[in-house]
Amino acid sequence: MIELKHISKWYQVGGKPTFILKDINLTIKEGEFVSIMGPSGSGKSTLLHILGMLDDANEGEYHFMDQPVHSLKEKQRSQIYKQHVGFVFQAYHLIDELTVYENIETPLIYQNIKTNERKAMVADMIDRFNIVGKKDLFPTQLSGGQQQLVGIARALIAKPKLLLADEPTGNLNSKQGEEIMDLFKQLNKEGVTIIQVTHSEKNAGYGSHIINLLDGRIEKTN
Amino acid sequence: MLKNYLKIALRNLWKSKGFSAINIIGLAIGLATCLLIMLFVLDELSYDRYNKKADRIYRVDGDIKFGGNHFILAVAPDPMGATLKKDYPQVEQYVRFRGQGGLLLKKGNENVQEDKVIYADSTLFDVFTLPMLDGDPQTALQAPNSLVITATTALKYFNTTQAVGRTMLVNNRDNYKITAVIKDIPAQSHFNFDFFVSMATLEESRRNNWVSNNFNTYVVLKEGSDPKKLEAQFDALIDKYVGPAVKQIMSIDMAEFKKAGNYEKQYLTPLTSIHLHSDKTGELAPNSNIQYVYIFSAIAFFILLIACVNFMNLSTARSANRAREVGVRKVLGSLKANLVKQFLTESILISCMALVLALGLTFIMLPTFNHLAAKEIKLDLLSNPWLLPALLLMVLITGLLAGSYPAFYLSSFKPIQVIKGKLAAGFKTSWLRSGLVVFQFAISIILIIATIVIYKQLNFIQSHKTGFNREQVLVIHSTSPLGSKAKTFREEVVKISGVENATMTGYLPTNGWRNDNPVFADPTLDQKKAVSMQTWDVDEQYISTLGMELVTGRNFSKEFLTDSSAIIINEAAAKMYGFTEPIGKNLYYLRDINTRSASVLHVIGIVKDFNFTSFRQQVTPLALLMGENAGNTAIRINSKNIPHLVTQIENLYNKMAPGEPFDYTFMDEDFNNLYRTEQRMGVIAISFSALAILIACLGLFGLAAYAAEQRTKEIGIRKVLGATVSNITAMLSKDFLKLVVVAAVIAFPLAWWFMHSWLQDFAYRTNISWWVFIMAGVVAAFIAVFTVSFQTIRAALMNPVKSLRNE
Repeated sequence: MIELKHISKWYQVGGKPTFILKDINLTIKEGEFVSIMGPSGSGKSTLLHILGMLDDANEGEYHFMDQPVHSLKEKQRSQIYKQHVGFVFQAYHLIDELTVYENIETPLIYQNIKTNERKAMVADMIDRFNIVGKKDLFPTQLSGGQQQLVGIARALIAKPKLLLADEPTGNLNSKQGEEIMDLFKQLNKEGVTIIQVTHSEKNAGYGSHIINLLDGRIEKTN
Repeated sequence: MLKNYLKIALRNLWKSKGFSAINIIGLAIGLATCLLIMLFVLDELSYDRYNKKADRIYRVDGDIKFGGNHFILAVAPDPMGATLKKDYPQVEQYVRFRGQGGLLLKKGNENVQEDKVIYADSTLFDVFTLPMLDGDPQTALQAPNSLVITATTALKYFNTTQAVGRTMLVNNRDNYKITAVIKDIPAQSHFNFDFFVSMATLEESRRNNWVSNNFNTYVVLKEGSDPKKLEAQFDALIDKYVGPAVKQIMSIDMAEFKKAGNYEKQYLTPLTSIHLHSDKTGELAPNSNIQYVYIFSAIAFFILLIACVNFMNLSTARSANRAREVGVRKVLGSLKANLVKQFLTESILISCMALVLALGLTFIMLPTFNHLAAKEIKLDLLSNPWLLPALLLMVLITGLLAGSYPAFYLSSFKPIQVIKGKLAAGFKTSWLRSGLVVFQFAISIILIIATIVIYKQLNFIQSHKTGFNREQVLVIHSTSPLGSKAKTFREEVVKISGVENATMTGYLPTNGWRNDNPVFADPTLDQKKAVSMQTWDVDEQYISTLGMELVTGRNFSKEFLTDSSAIIINEAAAKMYGFTEPIGKNLYYLRDINTRSASVLHVIGIVKDFNFTSFRQQVTPLALLMGENAGNTAIRINSKNIPHLVTQIENLYNKMAPGEPFDYTFMDEDFNNLYRTEQRMGVIAISFSALAILIACLGLFGLAAYAAEQRTKEIGIRKVLGATVSNITAMLSKDFLKLVVVAAVIAFPLAWWFMHSWLQDFAYRTNISWWVFIMAGVVAAFIAVFTVSFQTIRAALMNPVKSLRNE
């Protein structure tokens, strides 16, 4: 599903390049659940953003479902991304001005899905996550765990093949964190490929693979 | 999708109410001002368009240089119209107007003075579109002593608009017959009369005099004919007809006339350009000036631009708050185009709200504006079919203009950066925003300077020595009905206590009659040495009553019997003749052009130049001759109880002329009337400047709030390090002050240039002193600091622990 070849990313600092990622080679198959680990500054988030097509690499090739992402135009990339990728953030990043329902609905709007269809899809998702009673609340009226649940619901609404999560439990207490990880496990079983960035060994354990990054290089994979 | 955009737009507006209010109010004031000016400009541009043949009607105007004088005339010789129609087939019809002052009419037993009177040819209705309520347009103005009146006038005198066949007693002498009643003339007309008297009534209209220009002459050209082609033949026409007349009067032919540096040109002025472009001698009424249309249009444009700039500035300043939303939306699959559309929807929504508010504001401001501008503009969305679409277009353009920059700016954020919390554009780094603030303040400073200069000039007009004393002078108009008793009236008036002096004359510096004649310097009547000048018949009390000053020589006096042939000239005339020792010199005044008999006048004095036209023109040569002229009586008074004094004079008048209307003004009022346009425009300019500054301040207020917000952390750290509230306030204000200084540097030369050109219109004008600039700069800086201080002090007072905690 995903194939990275010689991916490098750097910034120019005082005229010299500072590498964030250096020569990353990586293959992830459909249905895998991968955890990326590593100390702060090792390039975990950058790698995830490149995988999620939110950021470009300076060098190297990225193939996503046999499409050369690195050479696609913004519009085509956005098309792939909209259809196949969902994103979950540590800080949830819900839109404060929209209700729970509307937040979940937004990705569908950008895919030009018709109103009736949207209603059905959102209703299903809300049912599934057991948040029917909260659908008209605004994000600020929810607890962190509930907000992240909405964030995941929103990420899943367009039925993505790949779910990317950037420390999804980082702002949650351990009980909420466990619930979210169980949900991920469940989703993975249903066939969603998941890549998560995490600090926690325990959370990394939920995955089938762990990739350890250090100073922009893959240190080991298991 | 649109529903979603609108929903989030509304919620966003509601969430940041202060910001929204500033935006909407600022835009609303801008739009309202724009709308007012739009209505004003459209009103000005619509003059005379009610005429069905408006595009084919031209006035025959003249440009004559003769005897050192230059006349630009709105009038032509009496045979001009008929000759044009006879000689040139492209002239379909002509009509002439001749103003001869007002008429005294009888309404019941009461005498009423009517001033909106004009003599007009019977062809009036072939040229102008003046719909008739009663009567026949073909014959109405044919017979002498025929009278066409407007509906309002008919109602006033006869209580009906079906007044044809009735008669009116005119000047207590003649019976005029009402031959037609027309609808009232639209306000957007360069002439506005209540009475049209048939031209046949006037003997003067048949004199065939080619050298006297007294008739406003209009021609209608046949459809498709080129006015330029007709104009090109005017020179030949003048040679053919004016030439012989010149020969007869001055015994020189046209070639010699021209060789002496004289010329006479006639040309065509399109009817539709008279109201805004014509300020000539002999206009039917004072016209407006295209300059004001340009100035106001520019002001409207800039005010709206300032309001739009506010919008852009506030939106981008607020981008920090919107950036995260943009990032998330992009992550959720939004394209840049989606976001641009979203933000544009938002700004158009805001401008729609602003429009609703603006309509309300316009409705409230319109009466005041009408009062200021002396207009009767109505805000009627239904009767003006163009208004609503134009407004919607204006809103759309405003929305797009104001929203486009924020939309493109915000939507271009890289999602990854904003989600990570790194916002590239801080307040200080945005040169564009600074540029926009500079722009706003530059315009505000220009407007402040313009306002000060306009006021300075108005003040100058008020305080400038006019050469006569207009204070405490009562002018009684038309003392001519007193007839031979006018002199007795003057003598009786002087006896009333509180009256210092009185003079009897039709010629006054502020208004009244004018009489232009060539006065020759030698007995051969060599026209090369002629000076064309005002020659006024006055009595010996004239100079003392009006407080004029003699430079040299003496005033007229009863003691000198020879004073009937004495002349007092002004300094301008003396200079024109080149006299070094003028007293005792003889001048020759043509009494009758046909017999070429001249009377010899000896100069007894030089009067200091006094202004008898507006300050826009230099004082031209003028001569005072001793004579009896009962046109007006000017009375110098010195009394605390003016109403009582006026009543005493009125009683005396009524005793001597029973039933005649007692009509008076004060000379200083007459004087102010000369500058009413300037005063009106001054007040309007000040109001608009104030509005522009208000809008700019609203924007600055909002901007300061966000600047303070963005620098919360910096302020917190500085406070922890020991900065005081005043340190912080100064630091934040300094950034804005710098912008004001830059704005001032840009504004000063521009403002100087604008106002310098405006002042060129006045022959007598104030100067633009350096303190005007200093004052404008200080005012702008003060306004800026005052506006910003609300926010900066608040930010400086904040508890640093609070602002640093969430970092």
